[in-house]
Amino acid sequence: MSEYLYADIGYQSMSKHGEIVCGDHVEKIEKPDGSVVLVLADGLGSGVKANILSTLTSTIISRMIAEDLPISYCVHAIAEALPICSVRKLAYSTFTVISISPTGMANIIQYDNPGAILVRDGKEFPLPFVTTIIEEKSIDAARVQLQKGDVLVTYSDGAEHSGVGPGMSYAYGWGRDNIVKFIEPLCHVGFSAKTLNTILLDECYRRYSGECGDDTTALTVYMRTHEQVNLMIGPPSNREDNDKMMSLFFSKGGKHIVCGGTTSKIAANYLKKPLEVKMDFMDDDDDMPAMAHIEGVDLVTEGVITINRVLEYARDYLKDNDSYTQWCYKRDGASQIARMLFEEATDINFFVGRAVNPAHQNPNLPITFSIKMQLVRELSECLKQMGKNIRVSYF
Amino acid sequence: MTLTVCIGSSCHLKGSKKVAQTFERLITENNLREKVNFHAAFCMGNCQNGISVSLDDTVYSVTPETAEEFFRREVLSRI
Repeated sequence: MSEYLYADIGYQSMSKHGEIVCGDHVEKIEKPDGSVVLVLADGLGSGVKANILSTLTSTIISRMIAEDLPISYCVHAIAEALPICSVRKLAYSTFTVISISPTGMANIIQYDNPGAILVRDGKEFPLPFVTTIIEEKSIDAARVQLQKGDVLVTYSDGAEHSGVGPGMSYAYGWGRDNIVKFIEPLCHVGFSAKTLNTILLDECYRRYSGECGDDTTALTVYMRTHEQVNLMIGPPSNREDNDKMMSLFFSKGGKHIVCGGTTSKIAANYLKKPLEVKMDFMDDDDDMPAMAHIEGVDLVTEGVITINRVLEYARDYLKDNDSYTQWCYKRDGASQIARMLFEEATDINFFVGRAVNPAHQNPNLPITFSIKMQLVRELSECLKQMGKNIRVSYF
Repeated sequence: MTLTVCIGSSCHLKGSKKVAQTFERLITENNLREKVNFHAAFCMGNCQNGISVSLDDTVYSVTPETAEEFFRREVLSRI
């Protein structure tokens, strides 16, 4: 009986300097049975033409693999479908397919992309690739049972070549061996896939001195156990449901976050523990509201202002992830919630109370009931896009 | 005596951190650490009239601008 693992997935692309669109493309399909299919494709050339080739390739292959069609069919379909480049008389896009079952069995199929890297226990674990020829194309395939803590990284050739180019500082590019050496020590830190992936791409960007000589894309899969985090915000619309909401919330396994002044008072009452507001908020130069402490709750914060900040971080996380440098270390409530939700959690349960705070219905205040509901909706949408399993219950 | 500043969402937006910082400074300057029990609290349910500050059982409305004057008038006079 294998333990069910969670495949934490992060990917991002950087366009060749001067291009608006990227010629690499990553497609992800999550199947209802809990398995996931990932395709990283690198289209011939750069710009719009390459983008069309890689988008077509990754979309077609991911759909076909998700329907359990054999790879030979996929290769044939691609060859038939891709438009032929008028300059090069070729229809071409490299690709890497990674499909992972709910038990962590991974199939990796590569065509002309740099070899995927599996890091296990801090060392590269050689993937057992077998080469077959399909339609005159050399296809490498490997099958491996992934384990807890495994990190699987694949990237387009722009990463291996990073640093090569006119005026660049590296004559031979980064190279696979150096990338392996770079990734290995980062794998046991517990970084999320997105963070590991960002660290790798940042290094590529640095080596290219901020002007990528080629489209550069990286895709990271981090195998981890499920971590549940529960977040409660707002008192229930009916006061008589207080105990019901609290008992459902506190009976859940995993970490517990309570947001909102009134909500934390209700939680403290339910737990029969004092609610202590922390006074160290005054030392913080940021304008984030204070936090509190209740024995038995992992994090107690203010409500809407804090969650609004978390939502800003979540939106950025899905784009450039620039604000990571802020929330990765700060002690304020929003940063701590961001770390728990974005990095630690795989499964998140929201407990949302629909009580209307009469004090907040003042037209002079920028807080309204509808804003709170909107915040939760948007935040849960962002977290879904991060690949988290989300459940929202209203009270 | 117990001095409490509300740091609920609404009072926070109106600048309760500044009020708390002013009180903290005045308590240190006047050596009142032993005499004034200074706290922060989540929403006191008096948002319309915030920033809410309570001195023992009485709730007052204070702004960052009036915080120092309030402290001198209400707190220092009772020491």
